[in-house]
Amino acid sequence: MKRLRVLLCAAVVLTLAISLPAAATTAAAPIKIGFVYIMSGPFATYGQFAKQGAEMAIDEINRAGGILGRTVEARFEDSTGKPDVGIRVFRKLVFQDKVDCLVGLDSSGVANAVVPALLQMKTPLIITHAATPDATGSLCNRYTFRISLNLSQNVKAAALIAAETKARTWTTIGPDYAFGYQSWEYFQKYLKQIKPEVSFLPDGQVAFPPSKTTDFSAYITKIMQAKPEGVLISLWGGNLIDFVRQADQMGFFNGEFQVLMTLGGAVEVLDALRDKMPKGIWVGTRYWFLANESALNRRFREDYFSRYSQYPSYNAHGAYGAVYAYKAAAEKAAATDKEAVIKALEGLSLELPVGPITIRPEDHQALTDACWGKTFADPAYPIRILKPMRVFAGEEITPPVSETGCRMTP
Amino acid sequence: METLVINTLNGLSWGMLLFLISMGLTTVFGVLGVLNFAHGALFMLGAYVCMQIMQIVPSFWLGLALGPLLVAALGVLIERYLLRRVYARDVSFQLLLTFAILLVLDDAVLILWGPAYHVVEAPPLLAGVFRLFGHTYPVYRLFLIIVGPMVGIGLWFFFQFTRWGRIVRAAALDREMAEGIGIRVPLLFSAVFGLGAWLAALGGALAAPQQSVAPSMGDRIIIESFIVVVIGGLGSFPGAFVGALFLGLLESFGTVFAGHAQMALPYLLLAVVLLVRPRGFFGREV
Repeated sequence: MKRLRVLLCAAVVLTLAISLPAAATTAAAPIKIGFVYIMSGPFATYGQFAKQGAEMAIDEINRAGGILGRTVEARFEDSTGKPDVGIRVFRKLVFQDKVDCLVGLDSSGVANAVVPALLQMKTPLIITHAATPDATGSLCNRYTFRISLNLSQNVKAAALIAAETKARTWTTIGPDYAFGYQSWEYFQKYLKQIKPEVSFLPDGQVAFPPSKTTDFSAYITKIMQAKPEGVLISLWGGNLIDFVRQADQMGFFNGEFQVLMTLGGAVEVLDALRDKMPKGIWVGTRYWFLANESALNRRFREDYFSRYSQYPSYNAHGAYGAVYAYKAAAEKAAATDKEAVIKALEGLSLELPVGPITIRPEDHQALTDACWGKTFADPAYPIRILKPMRVFAGEEITPPVSETGCRMTP
Repeated sequence: METLVINTLNGLSWGMLLFLISMGLTTVFGVLGVLNFAHGALFMLGAYVCMQIMQIVPSFWLGLALGPLLVAALGVLIERYLLRRVYARDVSFQLLLTFAILLVLDDAVLILWGPAYHVVEAPPLLAGVFRLFGHTYPVYRLFLIIVGPMVGIGLWFFFQFTRWGRIVRAAALDREMAEGIGIRVPLLFSAVFGLGAWLAALGGALAAPQQSVAPSMGDRIIIESFIVVVIGGLGSFPGAFVGALFLGLLESFGTVFAGHAQMALPYLLLAVVLLVRPRGFFGREV
């Protein structure tokens, strides 16, 4: 009797073992995209907005039949802004969740750590926010792509605007990590090329407050006392909100010097500041929802607003764009095999709400437009909008591959 | 002259905020012997609750009065139902527990209010600026410079001269003896922890008009509060005051004169004090 039972169990198990894999292959497996953003801590809002953009894109695509007939699924992980955590969650997504593509990254620090690790993970990553030029520059590799505006592009636009102002001595206030330092380094390089007579204040008269700073008064005082003619501000997120409120009260925006904020046009910043954002300040962003009146952009911002009751921020647009870029690449390659998708992404041109972009095959950086504008109070919007707007074409602001330091091994 | 005055004001306003947070930390340590890692989260909660109250009734003064009281009540609950269980055990249990509470509160705030940045308006009375050396300076910072010592003096007065204050000091000095003469020490501990939470939350509510209310906003100030408490002397009020003042001014002037080294200054100060005088400026002999 016992022997019969054992045989019966074995038979059941064997039948299941044979039939289940077969069952899995008859229904089309979904395409999995892994998203890694900062989901906790002071920059959690960026991860939240990216998730919103990604989910909207995936819902739209699934409603229209998916990619190559397969539904798309998302997996979101929290990088917490730390490189070691970033690498860990990337590995989990690739080896455990078996994602077909990776999308992400808010922190340039995490990007610089994760990009070399992709060589082992052999999975394409589409960067949508982290702006360090190194990701498609000195650290470039065949798995790393970026569809968003990077630091060198945005700062080139800043330099072009700065050159048109009367300011000749410049200083900076930026966060105390690679992003702040590189923004300043590239700004000096580009502005000097356009307007050789400018000068830059020395180390003792620039400010790089640590990211955890909440009281910027000492830095504000330091810069104001240095009496510059222009200040480049590369602070972002919560830092920028705190800084603007505190600086405004200390007379920073009284017009004594020119102020440029490379990420002042971020919707999360404008939304938090509302009337506290001074008017007439040049600000940049990675995507401005009113910069482009194409049908695609109009539909994107209306759908986003009706779904989330907010204007789309650049992080939402980035994640949204990455999903569509992946779709375009998979359809171009007629496969979701990672190598085929990588080949298809190189040189890919597609239209996104920000405008048409082309992913340069030599360094995998997208040529995309940059929008800067002066903050303006428009009664139709609860936040400051940009008016006048200056849109810089991707070709005008993207450095040639030879300058990026990228040497891609095929 | 201008640099000196403005930097002093900057340093004092930051220092006084630090003082408020450190007072709560040092009181809880002095009386309960607990180093509360969740103190920064209570600071953050104070800011969030104040903001929430202001969304219902747009009055900063109401938020300032009511918010910290609500957080203090939460503090009492935490002490009564969580912390009390680990007093008898090794100190490491306390640290783990308060750290766990910090993580839980951080995520709770994310769930309840979402990750977005919130901004709290200063009340019209304090929202203005005044002219200083040809620039403007916010009135609110002056308010902080005044409020800090006021709360400090009030609390010091309470501990020195009132009956309840003496009872608390007695329990801190010798717990068994205090229980022996009939003081209900467990109740007292809950009350003191609630006071510590109230001070942290008060700091949070006061900080809210100046900095954005965001997740993990307590991170930076809590690290510096620990430094203040150690250099001032664990459990010492005047120590917290002097330590906070010193650190605030050091950071303010350090930013201008020390350049990149400025970030290291608080930690260097901590290291020096620990090496030269480990009990801090006003600490008792261990």
